[in-house]
Amino acid sequence: MNRFLKRRCLGSSLTAVAIAILVLATWVTKQRLGHAAFLTGGTTLACVFLLILIGLRRRVPMLPLLSMSTWVQIHVYTGWFVLAAYCLHVPRLFVSGMFEGGLATLFWGCMGSGFYGLYASRRLPRKLSAVGNNEVRFEQIGWQRHAIAEAADALLQELKATPAAVVLADFYRASLQPFFLGRPSAAYVAIPNGTRRRRLLNRLGDLDRYLEDQTRQTANRYAALVRLRDDLDYQYALQFRMRVWLIVHAALSIGLLTWGCLHALLAIRFSG
Amino acid sequence: MQFPENAVEVPRPQRWDEPFDPEMSDSEVAWLLTRKPFSQLDNKAFPRSAPLAAILRNDCRLRRHRPGEVIVREGDYGNSAFLVLSGNVQALLTRLPPAQLGRSSPVKLTWRQALKQLWNQSLYPESRTPADVHSQLGPRIEQADRRTTVFLQDFDGVLSDRQDLSLGPNDLFGEIAAMYRSPHVATVVAQTEAVLLEIRWQGLRLIRRDGRFSQQLEHHYRQHWLKTHLRQTPAFRYLPEDALQRVADSVRMRSFGRNEWHNDFEKTRKLPPAEQIEAEPVVASEGSHPIELVLVRAGFARVCHDYGSGHRTTAYLSKGRLFGLEEIVHNVYRPEGAPPIPLQNSLRAVGFVDTLHIPLEVVVEDLLPYIRRSELPRPLLSTRQQRTAVAPLPLPTTGRPEGEAELPTGLLEFIVQNRLNNGQQAMLIDLDRCTRCDDCVTACAKTHDGNPRFARVGPRYDRLQFAQACMHCLDPICMIGCPTGAIARDAATGTVRIHEPICVGCGTCANACPYQNIQMVEVRDQRGRFYRDQQTQFPILKATKCDMCQSQPSGPACVAACPHDALTRIDLSQVDALQDWLTQRGVPGQEAT
Repeated sequence: MNRFLKRRCLGSSLTAVAIAILVLATWVTKQRLGHAAFLTGGTTLACVFLLILIGLRRRVPMLPLLSMSTWVQIHVYTGWFVLAAYCLHVPRLFVSGMFEGGLATLFWGCMGSGFYGLYASRRLPRKLSAVGNNEVRFEQIGWQRHAIAEAADALLQELKATPAAVVLADFYRASLQPFFLGRPSAAYVAIPNGTRRRRLLNRLGDLDRYLEDQTRQTANRYAALVRLRDDLDYQYALQFRMRVWLIVHAALSIGLLTWGCLHALLAIRFSG
Repeated sequence: MQFPENAVEVPRPQRWDEPFDPEMSDSEVAWLLTRKPFSQLDNKAFPRSAPLAAILRNDCRLRRHRPGEVIVREGDYGNSAFLVLSGNVQALLTRLPPAQLGRSSPVKLTWRQALKQLWNQSLYPESRTPADVHSQLGPRIEQADRRTTVFLQDFDGVLSDRQDLSLGPNDLFGEIAAMYRSPHVATVVAQTEAVLLEIRWQGLRLIRRDGRFSQQLEHHYRQHWLKTHLRQTPAFRYLPEDALQRVADSVRMRSFGRNEWHNDFEKTRKLPPAEQIEAEPVVASEGSHPIELVLVRAGFARVCHDYGSGHRTTAYLSKGRLFGLEEIVHNVYRPEGAPPIPLQNSLRAVGFVDTLHIPLEVVVEDLLPYIRRSELPRPLLSTRQQRTAVAPLPLPTTGRPEGEAELPTGLLEFIVQNRLNNGQQAMLIDLDRCTRCDDCVTACAKTHDGNPRFARVGPRYDRLQFAQACMHCLDPICMIGCPTGAIARDAATGTVRIHEPICVGCGTCANACPYQNIQMVEVRDQRGRFYRDQQTQFPILKATKCDMCQSQPSGPACVAACPHDALTRIDLSQVDALQDWLTQRGVPGQEAT
């Protein structure tokens, strides 16, 4: 059993035990006619606070406060636990009332983004490393796009004035240049796919019968640049997604904590 | 043979196109030839292409030292031996406080100090206080004899209460460090005005062609250092004194490859592995009978075996590792009647390797009885297999005992090809877990005044990326030639650090680093103004690199900051460390091929 599997077993077991204890405590409180909602609500709020702390830890890497990977593990399993605590606190999916409904929506949004983050942080790295042999740094993608566009333009300049070259040049200006100079569309960034790449390569392939040896070689180089650019956009889309996800999840978490605190204050105020 | 018409004719480069000291004159060479030990050397021992006079002219330089000048520093790596021609120098046998040499020990920051880094960061990258730029309390740095050099402050006071060794005319020092690429064991300071002859490594090797001189060096090494080196090897640690002496007496010393491997590195790393392996000098051949145990004293060696029409790498060895022990143990403890086995692998020098060869009979009589059973290698074949085996015996394809986990050949060859096996703290990133969040780079920047000390780029093998961060190498090429000793290895942690106040910005270390992991930066003050030299107005440069966050309470911030366990600092000079790391994360050996 590898280290990660052992860690997963340990984390899952501890979380299951913690959930079992909370369920038991809630049942006992209800049996004694106590306010079980205070127990589950307080636990949920305390856990949300603990979940938020990872953001602070991330900002102080110089302090020996356990490694970030340990914090991520605590964050993940606390997330599962808080889901259980919330379900005990609010045993239905839709909540009535604007204030409570908003809080519930925020909670589910935060949970959903958290689970997506868990999935994405395990799946996207493999997808990223499967594309090309070179590592692409996010901040250099713009520069690399520019370099590809320049290389494509240079290929056009190298073409000799032949009828076949005119055909290739027309195709370059009409289809390839906008692709090389432009940024990927929002739809592509949201769901990167191979449609653009296949379409361009097919159309480039269709030109083949109008070309001779020299222009055919140039067309092959354009095809290579299209693949390169598409790989780059794919890297951009996935890395951008991870960055956006982090911002969204952090914003939702802070909102949830603030709203949750207000809810707690109101609950204490009107508890009688 | 026909040559193309457009060929360009140039003079063929010669060995001594660039002499060590361009100003060495004929009269100085003649004078040196009259002095010991050169007057006693046999001229016939030197080939016509490299006579002694030419060695002295091209591989040596005269250095004049003033009292208090530091000639070599303890812990530094050097490429030269020094012969005292006149005056006296003092070898300080007890350790000099690092501050005397301008080196400060890393002080761990308190939590408060560490936190302050968050809001005390300069607005400008690479800003320094005046004390960081120029040493005011440490040693004096001056230009002497047209080179930058370090003088001890209060030299008389330093020497008065120390145990030291005075060296006078005709005494040679530094030859062990130069020949065997090991750190100097003592700091040597000029006691009086002294003239020294610095003999670079290439010259020293040529002079060793003289049998008597070579014997003297070897005798000196055997007398003073060999037993120490043997003792440092785990297998020799329980040897009683008399057995160790017998081992030391029987040892044969050999060198393979080029000591200055880094000069060819850029070229050789681009060769296909098969071609590279073919070009490496053979230390021991597969299939021959193990008649001696090979101990790697310095450098690196590749363990490989024939596979198809090429060679397949199965491991690499670094300082202190043994080759041939498995076969010797197998042959010694094999059941009666079973045939002995030959060497299962070849050993080849990667770059350069210095080896100690211990004869089989000495290994059997004086070494094996003192190695613990649990530490002996596992038998290469089970007893049952041995009884039924008919020659030739089935060789394990892995080069390791059957059943033992192994790294894939491709990965091993990639590591050796890129000389990553030199790294003791190499930064390794598992790309299948890295989300490219760059938290490691951000953390590094936060702990280094806003400027990270590494880039998340570097050679990649499958899912592993070897990031471009200082690896704190086993063979620290960068430390050779630093004129002030500003780049030094921390004795306690093994970390190679730059002591900025005495860094003169010459760039020797940055140019020497084969991995481009040292950067020269222009430094400025807290207000963003660049520091300039008072005399030349040239910018003040400092060498910067990863310092393993020695002063940070968290340790290496890059590792602590990685949220997905993707990044580690690992000793690549030991195959086992990488194997363990990969096994821990469930990467089967063959997956990475």
